[in-house]
Amino acid sequence: MTEAPPSAPAPPPELPAAAYERMSLVLRVGLLASLVILVGGLAAYLLAHPAASSGSVLSSNPILQYLSFPGLAHGLASGSIPAYLTLGLLVLLATPLVRVLSGIYYFHHGGERTMTAVTVTVLVLLLVGILVIGPLIR
Amino acid sequence: MPNGVDLWLFLGLLALAAIAAGLVGSLTGLGGGVIVIPVLVVLFAVPFPDAVGAGVITILATSSTTGAAYVRDRLSDLRIGMFLEIATVPGALVGASLTVVLVHASLDDALLIALGAVLLAVAPLSLLRLGAELPSPKPPDARSVRLGLRGEYHDQALGHVVPYEAHDTSSALGVMFGAGMVSGMFGIGAGVFKVLALDRFLNLPMKISTATSNFMIGVTAAAGAGVLLAAGYANPIIAAPVALGTALGAYSGSRLLPGLRNRTVRILFIPVVVALGLEVILRGVGLP
Repeated sequence: MTEAPPSAPAPPPELPAAAYERMSLVLRVGLLASLVILVGGLAAYLLAHPAASSGSVLSSNPILQYLSFPGLAHGLASGSIPAYLTLGLLVLLATPLVRVLSGIYYFHHGGERTMTAVTVTVLVLLLVGILVIGPLIR
Repeated sequence: MPNGVDLWLFLGLLALAAIAAGLVGSLTGLGGGVIVIPVLVVLFAVPFPDAVGAGVITILATSSTTGAAYVRDRLSDLRIGMFLEIATVPGALVGASLTVVLVHASLDDALLIALGAVLLAVAPLSLLRLGAELPSPKPPDARSVRLGLRGEYHDQALGHVVPYEAHDTSSALGVMFGAGMVSGMFGIGAGVFKVLALDRFLNLPMKISTATSNFMIGVTAAAGAGVLLAAGYANPIIAAPVALGTALGAYSGSRLLPGLRNRTVRILFIPVVVALGLEVILRGVGLP
């Protein structure tokens, strides 16, 4: 097919170009920050445990005690390597959440109630997953 | 692999396997997950939910980069993507929870068999997409009109602006729920299923489907990753080398060998995925 369909629909409701640019920036900065933390944390972990075997990491997750806000805050303050690894994972996880947040912002500003509600629902579901379902089934 | 291997060696081998998986995943267009998850479980004896946790973290680390590029190019339709995430996200929440619950109930074997079945389904589905670049026009449904699920893009190859409208949103939502569930349950992107919904049911042009699917995979993975992280199944020591290796392999695949990315390569590697699927099923039913 080399021609446009004859019954072309009306021009689409556009998101502002700034929306696309900002989302791209958020994605790249978030990814870079989390990778730096994760790689640095992994290297530090390996140096701190030179004699560790594969069985030790396969049988227990070193970040388990940092999966609560007080635990994480305390771990970060005391310079714990697994706490920083947890932070790296959280930053990585937050990147798409910020993407959804910016979606809410732009749909709301465009006066699109249904799309705003849809995007808010997606955000709420993501938060329910990490704050309610995950801890519930641990 | 025995449990007492030196950690440096173990993680090095893990990263090498992930590089290979990322490379093959990129060349075939299947994504690294369908290779790396069964390899983690079968070769490296990584517990199932930890492998799934590493899988979703890998998706988060890799989809953000491709997603960003597509969003910049304005090819991924944010509106349609956000709309469909209302189905993929609950699907992923259910899938990830199911994996944890089944493992707690010592039903790991059932998970292995299900993963094998998904791998066997992915292989032929990936070959379906050999039709025309642009679909023949179909009318939008009422929901599509109400939410403005339409758009247009300038197709450089065709040299003109291509308009599109979402056709059957109900069926697409149903397939997307299933795609989200597969993603959360097994830690794979399940892009093949997402693209199926976008191509077949929403009747979108192939370029828009691909870009929108890549955009959505990150948010879907975040749903699964949130559940698994909070449930204690996101182990960064395992996930970090897997994510880095897969990203490196996928990058090499897309940059170094662009000419290879075609149907022939895909057909060449389909047996690999089928073999992995069969191997995982055999493990599940208790055969060596």
